[in-house]
Amino acid sequence: MVNLTINGRVVRAEEGEMLLNVIKRQGINIPATCHHDAVEPYGACRLCTVEITKETWQGWKNYVTSCLYPVEEGLIVNTHSPEVVELRKTILDLLLARSPNARLIQEMAAEYGITHTSFEEIADGDDCILCGLCTRVCDALGFCAISSVNRGHGREIAPPLWEAPPDCVGCLACAQVCPTDFIEYTDKGTERTIWGKKFELLVCEQTGRPTITHEFAKYLSRNRDIPEEYFKLNDVSHRKELALTMGKITHWGREE
Amino acid sequence: MNARLVVTPNLCTGCRTCELACSFTHMVDGKPGKSRIYPIDGGFKDLWVPVVCLQCEDPACMKACLVNAITRNEETGAMVLDNDRCVLCMACVAACPFGCTLPDEVNALVVKCDLCDGDPVCAHFCPTKALQYKTIISTERRSA
Amino acid sequence: MVIEPDGLFYTKVKPKDVSEIIEKTLEKDEIIDRLLYTDPVSCEKEKNYNKIPFYSRQKRIALRNLGKIRPNKIDDYIAGGGYQALARVLTEMSPEEVIKVISKSGLRGRGGGGFQAGRKWQTCRNIESDVHYVICNGDEGDPGAFMDRAIMEGDPHSVLEGIMIAAYAIGAREGYIYVREEYPLAIIHLQKAIDNCEDVGMLGDSILGTEFSFRIRIARGAGAFVCGESSALMKSVAGEVGEPRAKYIRSVVKGFYDKPTVLNNVETFANVPAIISNGADWFKKIGTSKSTGTKAFSLVGKVRNTGLIEVPMGITLREIIYDIGGGILDDRPFKAVQTGGPSGGCLPESKLDLPVDFDTLTEAGSMMGSGGMIVMDDKTCMVDVAKYFLSFLVKESCGKCVPCREGLYQLHALAVKISEGRATEGDLDKMEKLSEVIVRGSLCGLGKSGPNPFLSTVRYFRDEYLAHIRDKRCPAGVCRELIHYEINDKCTGCMACITACAYDAISGKKNELHVIYQDKCTKCGACVAVCNYEAIDVT
Repeated sequence: MVNLTINGRVVRAEEGEMLLNVIKRQGINIPATCHHDAVEPYGACRLCTVEITKETWQGWKNYVTSCLYPVEEGLIVNTHSPEVVELRKTILDLLLARSPNARLIQEMAAEYGITHTSFEEIADGDDCILCGLCTRVCDALGFCAISSVNRGHGREIAPPLWEAPPDCVGCLACAQVCPTDFIEYTDKGTERTIWGKKFELLVCEQTGRPTITHEFAKYLSRNRDIPEEYFKLNDVSHRKELALTMGKITHWGREE
Repeated sequence: MNARLVVTPNLCTGCRTCELACSFTHMVDGKPGKSRIYPIDGGFKDLWVPVVCLQCEDPACMKACLVNAITRNEETGAMVLDNDRCVLCMACVAACPFGCTLPDEVNALVVKCDLCDGDPVCAHFCPTKALQYKTIISTERRSA
Repeated sequence: MVIEPDGLFYTKVKPKDVSEIIEKTLEKDEIIDRLLYTDPVSCEKEKNYNKIPFYSRQKRIALRNLGKIRPNKIDDYIAGGGYQALARVLTEMSPEEVIKVISKSGLRGRGGGGFQAGRKWQTCRNIESDVHYVICNGDEGDPGAFMDRAIMEGDPHSVLEGIMIAAYAIGAREGYIYVREEYPLAIIHLQKAIDNCEDVGMLGDSILGTEFSFRIRIARGAGAFVCGESSALMKSVAGEVGEPRAKYIRSVVKGFYDKPTVLNNVETFANVPAIISNGADWFKKIGTSKSTGTKAFSLVGKVRNTGLIEVPMGITLREIIYDIGGGILDDRPFKAVQTGGPSGGCLPESKLDLPVDFDTLTEAGSMMGSGGMIVMDDKTCMVDVAKYFLSFLVKESCGKCVPCREGLYQLHALAVKISEGRATEGDLDKMEKLSEVIVRGSLCGLGKSGPNPFLSTVRYFRDEYLAHIRDKRCPAGVCRELIHYEINDKCTGCMACITACAYDAISGKKNELHVIYQDKCTKCGACVAVCNYEAIDVT
């Protein structure tokens, strides 16, 4: 265990833990758009930057992204120093210039008193803030179907060669983790479309409701040892089946 | 980890108090969450089965999870889903043969019974003791 | 070409001159006057190579063999004393001793950061791991810089020898040289050098009969500027997208494939064999106390002598520009010198007497960088310079973190606004504030030093920015939106400009004063280029 000070309060943390976790545990709210527990910290949005110092540093301060900075004994952290607030404000301002319509950015910016960007709005801006969560989650799931392409300001998220990604199984995790809901997909009946690829959804044999895609089910049964017949029903029907089986057993018990 | 949530369908009246208790225990942003337990018609007259996660020995949900968001709490024996890790790929929902990992569409979550960290609230509130959290001496077999 | 042993120096030698040189100079000891070097200032001819200021003021260590040996002949290198340092290291010295010598010599990384090489090696050696790696950074991306290229192309073996010595010191068995794809000749020469070494047993298992085994592979970079950054480079070598990661755990500890890795630049490695051969004290005597040794620069821009130079640390910028460089072209006034590549800064006349070393340049708001040095005269607009370097960085930012991707973009947009005369003084403050955030908030060195082109120019040339903003005027006559061309009465009516103008913006008859139609003029400057009478004013 290590001891550190966050905004004047002494707290204890596990060795190797990242600062952001500890800060969040203290109930201190700092924005972070590119952080997700399922993937390695990335440090792209820089919003979770905090000011750190130590008594031995003789007044020298450093600014680090808390999502990536492992806790250290004797660390003195300030999550809302004027410099840090200024930094967050500017970053949100910049993000707002790129994605003026992204709800998440609007809300975060409003919290820091910004309603309109002070920069010129970018002509070809969209809601994608390039946090990289979608690609990193896709990598973590093991599909690696999409990635970031180009660099600098022309960076974007795309499947290989902007064509329907061969490795995508249509699990929608990318769209689900997207903090600005930018990744589009459609579910029409039993047909799902995402990244320009069409998928046929499995259908529950009893309710006729769609569940997951054929490709995903095949992947799970092949690589994760899930029997294929599990995918014949959806969760509602599965529960009903369980109730009926249990009911039968109980009923026999009653008759006896 | 010898304590189990013991379900006795014979005693269940289908009053759905457990559902309420569960919902209010697992609040999301101050609003009642999706219940993890459902009394379902057992197919015979006056026969209700409270369906809740069986905390399998070899759980399909855990095997299906590609980001290791479902792990066993060694103290309670419950399979616990870490919502901060979950990426909502729905693999566990599709894989559970008992339908006990549930999608919570309203709050965009996947939920499952975590035995309330070793003190299941549903058991407290069950008026007929159809749900009991008690220590079991003989280790029964649990399988997926 | 230089003819030894007299050091006779001929310039601009063409193939057809060769027979004459052999006939006259080699056989009869005659000097061919027309091939001699003419000093641009004194206009006197000089026959001895060592007396020409461009060479006499230099001290060549890293570039010691350049032009003297055939780069793809290992024999040439060995004949010049090559691989003796390696032999000595492998047979007489322990790894600790090697590190001690390098530490004592005070050799600092020549890639820009200036980190003590010896300390880096020691840290890496101290970390317990099954493998250690050594990587050579040959991704020289700065526009106008070509020091590393020259070394890799002209003397690949010195780089290999340096890498091998480093590998022995840290206990690595595998090394990589990361070369950008734009240097095909460097790749060919390095590969040839590696093959030669393997053939003669200088690379591979039990080198020179000792227990030391080592292999080197070349990794080719696709030319992204950011891949010169250590963590991005390692990712690129590993075959991933070259994006930097946060370095709260340094790459010496957790680098290539998360293993302890020493990454040094080409020039640093090229210095290593010389230090081992001549001793740490010899190296320490050159340069200043904190920055020892020499540094190679590529001197370019508006100076008379451009090219690759290697000078002892502590030499002043004035000496470099006026003695070695021979002064500014056309005797125009000096305005600024840009050092350190795109992320470096511009230093004005008042800083010319600054000794060139890692720390003073950083204090002055520029940096050593890998050693690009661009000299600018009074016809250079500093806003335009900042704009150019910012646009380079906007394009070369990897785009991972927001301050660098969006911040530099907006900084560049504001610089464009100033150069077009649309800005207010508030915009300048905004740029300064934004720069502060980019410096503080960016993930890697590219972003952290990204606003430097702006910050250093605004620090020393604020008046010029204000002229653009307040008076809507570009003093250097560069920013198109703020200048216009006018014909003065020096015009002889020769019609040269009329022919040159592609937009029919100039009219006039022969021997009459010509007129430029401002609405048609695109300010391309073609008329100025052809006018022989200085009859076109740019204001």
